[in-house]
Amino acid sequence: MIQVFDLNVEGRELFSLSFGDIVPYFSVYTGALAAFVIIFILIAIFSLPERQMNIAFGGDAYYAKEVNVPDMRFSRFMAIACGAATLGAMVTGDIFNFTLFAVMVGITNIGIVAASGNKHVLNAAFQYGIVAMLATVPLFGGAALILATTGSLSIWVLAGAGVVPLLAKALLVLGVMGEGIAPLYIGKAEIIRAQGAPYVLMIHFSSLLLFLRVIEIVLVI
Amino acid sequence: MIHRISGILSNFDNLSRVYAVLIIIVILGGIISIPSMEYQGDRLYPKTIDRDSPLDPYDRGGEPFERTEVLAEYPENSPELGFTTAYLTPLAIALATTTPHMGTTIVAHPGGIIDEILYVTRGLDTVVETAILFVAFAMASYLYRRRDDE
Repeated sequence: MIQVFDLNVEGRELFSLSFGDIVPYFSVYTGALAAFVIIFILIAIFSLPERQMNIAFGGDAYYAKEVNVPDMRFSRFMAIACGAATLGAMVTGDIFNFTLFAVMVGITNIGIVAASGNKHVLNAAFQYGIVAMLATVPLFGGAALILATTGSLSIWVLAGAGVVPLLAKALLVLGVMGEGIAPLYIGKAEIIRAQGAPYVLMIHFSSLLLFLRVIEIVLVI
Repeated sequence: MIHRISGILSNFDNLSRVYAVLIIIVILGGIISIPSMEYQGDRLYPKTIDRDSPLDPYDRGGEPFERTEVLAEYPENSPELGFTTAYLTPLAIALATTTPHMGTTIVAHPGGIIDEILYVTRGLDTVVETAILFVAFAMASYLYRRRDDE
């Protein structure tokens, strides 16, 4: 029987936490990801929102856009919630738990831009929200297929056994693609026009880390 | 050709359509692979269904506060497993004895059947699910109140 930490992807076991059937673990890989998330949560907590500058073409003129502080406060709250969800997704040792955290990342991403008053940004966020909702189908479908075909959702049990069907893995990756829109960047590129830089950047950051983590899961199970 | 594809991809109104096409491709490929999948008969969390019970289909059997056989992936992490699985509130007992048609109501009302698989062994899932709902409520209330301000 192959253990999780015998696999090349993971590295050494640092720490694991027993929560009933859900056993989060910190290997070198997930521990490093979790450390990055914690750094970004701290940045979201302590940094002030940027003030966007618009530069007029063909001259030296520029002007700063107004930053609406109460709106930014809500963005900050959502950015911190997004960081917490990403942290959960990084360390969890259970596939269904991972999909739940991925869904939470998707919904907090919309929350971060909800404060924006820019119509163009909100249109992009609306499209993104539809995709995030759609993505729950392949995401939970993948987890359900894994449970039905193997009888377990625990990454510890499934590690290295190679019994998970390819379809379940493909659905899982597709679901994370939908929640984070990692390769379909057009929706994101428009969302990023919203002001409030350190908070808005959490959208990119969380989807990047979700993708790194789902690749690890797919390689391990 | 490439010009046209990049034209489609660069319009975010097509985002959900592009994503739906990806899902359809994977699912069509997946349907072909379904016969090769193996269904595991000895699944985790087995459950027997007693059609005559007033709690049908949620009857897990067993005596409350006595040990009942409930399977868990890591039994060593849940030493108290199997003690509350048959617990019913007085209201639930009253409902169950009056009529055999209230099974779902018994489960759904607060303090209904305590499902140990959900609340003991997979407790973190329950926490995350409600957290998702809370985030959704926070966003909805924020957007609603913001409209009031204007």
